[in-house]
Amino acid sequence: MQNAIVIGSGISGMACALRLAEAGVSVSLVSPFPSERSQSVMAAGGINAVLQDPVPGDSVTCHIEDTLKSGRGLSGREAVSGLCGRADEIISYLEKIGTVFSVDKTGAPVRRAFGGQSYRRTCYCGASTGKQIVSALVMEVRRYEAAGIIKRRMWSCFHSALIREGICYGVLLFDETTGGLEAEYADAVVIATGGQNALFGKTTGSTQCDGYTAGKLFMQGAELKNLEFIQYHPTTMETAQKRMLISEAARGEGGRLFYYEEAARSAGEGSAENLSSRKRVYFLEDEFGPRGNLMTRDIISRRIFTCGRDVYLDISFLDQRLIAERLPEVQDLCRKYKGIDVTREPIPVAPSVHFFMGGLAVHLDHETNIRNLFAVGECASMYHGANRLGGNSLLAAMYSGWVAAEEIAGRERPGARPDFTAMQEEETRLLLKKRESKSAFPVMYIRDMVAETMNKDLGISRDEEKLEKGIADVDYYLSIADKLSYDPNVMPYFNYSLTGILTLARAVLTCAKERKESRGAHFRSDYPEADERFAASSIISYQGGRYQVRLDKGHSYE
Amino acid sequence: MKVKILRQQAPFTESYWETFDADVPGDMSVAALIDYLNYRDDIVDENGKKTTRIGWECSCLQGVCGSCAMVINDVPALACETFVKDMSGDVLTIRPLRKFPVIHDLVVDRSQIQENLKQTDVCIGEYQPDFSKDEKKSKKEHALQYMIAKCLKCGLCLEVCPNYVNGKTFYGALFANDCYLVASRNKEKAVGISTQYAEHFGSACSKSLSCMDVCPMKIPTIAAMAAMNRG
Repeated sequence: MQNAIVIGSGISGMACALRLAEAGVSVSLVSPFPSERSQSVMAAGGINAVLQDPVPGDSVTCHIEDTLKSGRGLSGREAVSGLCGRADEIISYLEKIGTVFSVDKTGAPVRRAFGGQSYRRTCYCGASTGKQIVSALVMEVRRYEAAGIIKRRMWSCFHSALIREGICYGVLLFDETTGGLEAEYADAVVIATGGQNALFGKTTGSTQCDGYTAGKLFMQGAELKNLEFIQYHPTTMETAQKRMLISEAARGEGGRLFYYEEAARSAGEGSAENLSSRKRVYFLEDEFGPRGNLMTRDIISRRIFTCGRDVYLDISFLDQRLIAERLPEVQDLCRKYKGIDVTREPIPVAPSVHFFMGGLAVHLDHETNIRNLFAVGECASMYHGANRLGGNSLLAAMYSGWVAAEEIAGRERPGARPDFTAMQEEETRLLLKKRESKSAFPVMYIRDMVAETMNKDLGISRDEEKLEKGIADVDYYLSIADKLSYDPNVMPYFNYSLTGILTLARAVLTCAKERKESRGAHFRSDYPEADERFAASSIISYQGGRYQVRLDKGHSYE
Repeated sequence: MKVKILRQQAPFTESYWETFDADVPGDMSVAALIDYLNYRDDIVDENGKKTTRIGWECSCLQGVCGSCAMVINDVPALACETFVKDMSGDVLTIRPLRKFPVIHDLVVDRSQIQENLKQTDVCIGEYQPDFSKDEKKSKKEHALQYMIAKCLKCGLCLEVCPNYVNGKTFYGALFANDCYLVASRNKEKAVGISTQYAEHFGSACSKSLSCMDVCPMKIPTIAAMAAMNRG
């Protein structure tokens, strides 16, 4: 193929664009903002790789097994083998383009231990791995921009894909500078738009990742997979602006989670004096023993949720120097946003939505069920199954970008392109028509309502009744969204994206309702055990307003 | 508290001030404050007159993406880590960065930053460090490279700079830092990049170093300058 459009310029989008460019395929890299603003910069932990000189005992096979185990049988061995098998090559590449890894005396990347892994195999860049990788990729993309092979297109938002008879020929983009819709055609389109945080309002992630693109493509015929698997991070701190993630490293260094025993009724609730005199219950250590605080994210999140009390993370007993050296970002965040001195007082924490294992269903080469339409990074569902291993998301972002690019570069160009002028004119007319009707309804109000529904009815612990209520609520928002007129108070994007976001929310709830078992990150209080009959990925499709869920037992995708 | 915001509906329309009442807790950041004003059924000014929601850019809301750079009480800063309690006076003034064209309200077009880096070929290409340096020095340089690669390209250093006008000739602190990153990580490019550095930074920087005061990542630009000047 000769040209491609990549939607999204985070790590996965850039990795894909670069590999395409190296193969001589020209790329249009589309995003409203530059790569520095992407959610990728927030990934702190690291990137897993079994290098040429692994820690004694470790091997690529072991990395594969750890990943499959964490995915609870839902991720395919072939896909995961590819991912882990090329991790070493990915680290070499990132070194080559100048990523500032944390290194030893010889200049080789050092590795650290991470949750759920048998050996020390997580490469990292201080406390800002994602940001450091973004910086290196931006420079490398710049080289190809200067050569004219990659063209960045800013201030442009995805509107819809140009699809005819199951083949994708390009996209319609909303241009914020002109306020109009523009068609862009290419031999292939790659979606790299990240997760769906905004469905849940304020999470640990970027406000830019709202799931609209996946929702819209779903409405246009693309299938989605494993949407019910959403990773909650157990230790996040509430602030006025968002939920701040308190790194797992805090527990890794010895941090303890606890709650206070019920106070006697006479004692004034909540006052600091009263709290400090109350007995602490280290509920994880009580249940799981001394290493209880190091249990996996899903288990801890569930325990915090079920205990029904305010939970705290205590690191104040750790050596002050150790805190300053190894947990500086935890210390900074707490001081800056909550005025908490972590060397003296515990941090109030609660679980929050953090990562989406599900997304667009893709084949091994990252093509969706629509020909020449690919998806990479967090918006695609492939390697993480029912639960993701820490340090595997950056790896999958890079790897999936490469896989899609290599497939596209090796393919024949598609045949003659059908005419999409009529569709573009119709969509433009609809957009303008909406803009003309100035009866303001608050789009943001509906976005808030859906976030409330999702948090309440699709939380850490789910059941049939809540999910059905959630579905009814979202169906109601959907029914009014179409009748609502334009909100001139917010950007056009927020207006036209509403239905796609709501449709995705409905799909997520539907998948969660259909999976009548508990597995990985999906926990049903009415079906608390894993059930072998559900040991397959769920695939959801959409046709004329109907949502159809099936279990992919025949492995049609991987 | 009064919040006074310099607004502008579109790129080439007139800007105007609008004032809002906001009674918010001091531990709120300016980002949370703008959200507070925006996320109500209606948004009204101090006289109760209905107005449009305030346009601004945000992504991470925790100081690592650079989206929400703006000028708060005359100081260029990230809204997400500037707190109401640290502001003096009864009126909080917010306006967009002045050194970039306004798109809408507090949203500005900072693409000049990327354009300049592209035109001057600021990219590492292939990592080829200078192995002749001793361990202590390498370690120090590695630490500086790490800090510089954290640059958000938010533009605060350019906003405050007395020498940066519109990025046509003088490219500012973020450019100088990235030049160092390239020169120190690929010795083959050191000479070429030094020429660009001299032309677009070294020759015109008056060393006020105000860039370092406002940098959200606390990048020690002076260290990069020292290294570049040593060659």
